[in-house]
Amino acid sequence: MRRPNLRSSTVAATVAAIAFCSLAAIPGDAQAQPDDEIEMEGEDGAPPPVDEGEIEMEGEEEKNLEADLGAESDTVKIDTTSRELKPVSWQDIVVVMRKPFLKIRRTDLMPFLSTTMNDNMIRHYSAGGQFNYFLTDVLAVGVEGQYYTKQFREPFDLVGRQARRLPTINKYNFSAALNFHYVPVYGKFAILDKKLVAWETYFTAGVGVTQSEVVPRDPRFPGFTNLLITPNIGASMRFFLFQWLTVNVGIRDYIFVDKFEPLLRDQMNNTTAEAAKANADSTLINNLMFQIGVSFWIPPTFEYTTFR
Amino acid sequence: MKKTTFTLAGTVLVSAALGLLGPTASADDAPAISSQKRNYLEEQPAVRHRLLLVAKRLEMTALFESTINADFRHFIGGGLKLEYHLSDMFSIGVIGVGSTALDTKLTKRIIESPLEPNVDNQTREPSVEEFRQRLNSMPLHGAAYASLTPWYGKLAAFGQAYVNFDFYFQAGVSFASLKSDCNPSICNDPMPGVDPAPADPMVNADDNPNNDPPLNSGFRPGLYLGGGIHVFVNDFIAIDLAVRDYAFSDNPSGADFNADLAVKDDDSRFLHHLFAGVGVSVMLPFKVKRTR
Repeated sequence: MRRPNLRSSTVAATVAAIAFCSLAAIPGDAQAQPDDEIEMEGEDGAPPPVDEGEIEMEGEEEKNLEADLGAESDTVKIDTTSRELKPVSWQDIVVVMRKPFLKIRRTDLMPFLSTTMNDNMIRHYSAGGQFNYFLTDVLAVGVEGQYYTKQFREPFDLVGRQARRLPTINKYNFSAALNFHYVPVYGKFAILDKKLVAWETYFTAGVGVTQSEVVPRDPRFPGFTNLLITPNIGASMRFFLFQWLTVNVGIRDYIFVDKFEPLLRDQMNNTTAEAAKANADSTLINNLMFQIGVSFWIPPTFEYTTFR
Repeated sequence: MKKTTFTLAGTVLVSAALGLLGPTASADDAPAISSQKRNYLEEQPAVRHRLLLVAKRLEMTALFESTINADFRHFIGGGLKLEYHLSDMFSIGVIGVGSTALDTKLTKRIIESPLEPNVDNQTREPSVEEFRQRLNSMPLHGAAYASLTPWYGKLAAFGQAYVNFDFYFQAGVSFASLKSDCNPSICNDPMPGVDPAPADPMVNADDNPNNDPPLNSGFRPGLYLGGGIHVFVNDFIAIDLAVRDYAFSDNPSGADFNADLAVKDDDSRFLHHLFAGVGVSVMLPFKVKRTR
């Protein structure tokens, strides 16, 4: 092996150094390369496909698959890549976007607040919680509990002051129920033409118990409590904000036969709570409540399963 | 050797030139492509080829309305809503509703409690007629408003019916024509709460609000708030579900509210009259446009 010519080597090294410097001196060049790799398009030097222009379907008059496949000249003009054209059929195209939120085998923990909608004498506010497990994406079983506080409305005072009558009313203390939920309606909407939000409507049916308590017309006499079997039905909407959080609003009708203080109650009649309860007047009550709550989903994420 | 050296130098120079030109060209293109990729969706509308179901259209709605949780009387009636949608989001409109009055369960219970069958001015308790005739009705009410429709979308019901819908919110001014028919034989106090002869110590105000005129009839202007949903059956017919609040000064019972033993104007207070409504909207013109 001969020794390399020093002079020739020096020239070559100098040129190589200039070439290296020319490469290294242009930062933009050095940064551009990783971007190309991140995009993962045109790695083999081929230009990126131009499918995006086709997706927009601007000015499309009519969707005709046969016409599209037959228009070879148009296809050649648009498609500058060398990829192979494969015939497709409409059956291969999934036109429904995948559901953005899956609930199957997830648990929904929902603290909520609610208020009375249909009582013009006494308004109840309640704080409660629901615990629902989704057996499928549209069917759930769960339990709920509520604690109530009360507020007398304007007519409660007016009836006494204007009509000289003391209202007979009961307040509610707490309730609990076992519920089933079914989701027949789902959809999406755009807010201010910017952000898409998915939502759904679900119906609820269940049964539970409610404790009501008589508010005595005359405070000299004791009230009494009732434990009432309470079926309930309702409809609610759920808005999906994150994978782990939704906002729910709804209306629930709690139906029960409540026992009220008897009209005849004085120092001679129904003086004790037991006697008053034994002679109580029963009335069917529809306690309509508006509810709003926030659901926390467990697990907080889900693995998407494609429905076809 | 010399040839080899020049060949090597030439190769390096070509490489350097390519290094200068080739990558530079890529550097020019790559950010442009990547920026297009990154910004592509951000610059696009949220929904393409959307049906403009309300924009530049006149909405005519035949509607039914009923009070929610009224105290003494339910008002149930029908009316018409006319609304012009200036854009896909903003609209202006008017609504007018004629109503009839039905006693609530509370009113029935008070009457059946029972109240006195005949007028007795020696008691503070009203008779049936004193109580009933003092209640007012609302033969006509309505509003003029501006409306915002910030949400629109699609829904699927039972996986079968796919329909468009939108939510809207309204604010404006309301009016109501109130009416009470208290017979002069019942409401016969000419000067409620006023001493008719101040100089005469033997004559005083009667301190009986049950025979005072109720002062709860006439035209009442106020404020209006509403919200609802359109569910589009097709391109030009929609089901309109709404909750509307007509707020104005009122004294529904026509009785003494502030316990000064006389019915006066200061017994009226600013009250919310909440209605639930359902209607059928027809959008004109019938033909609908699409976004790009």
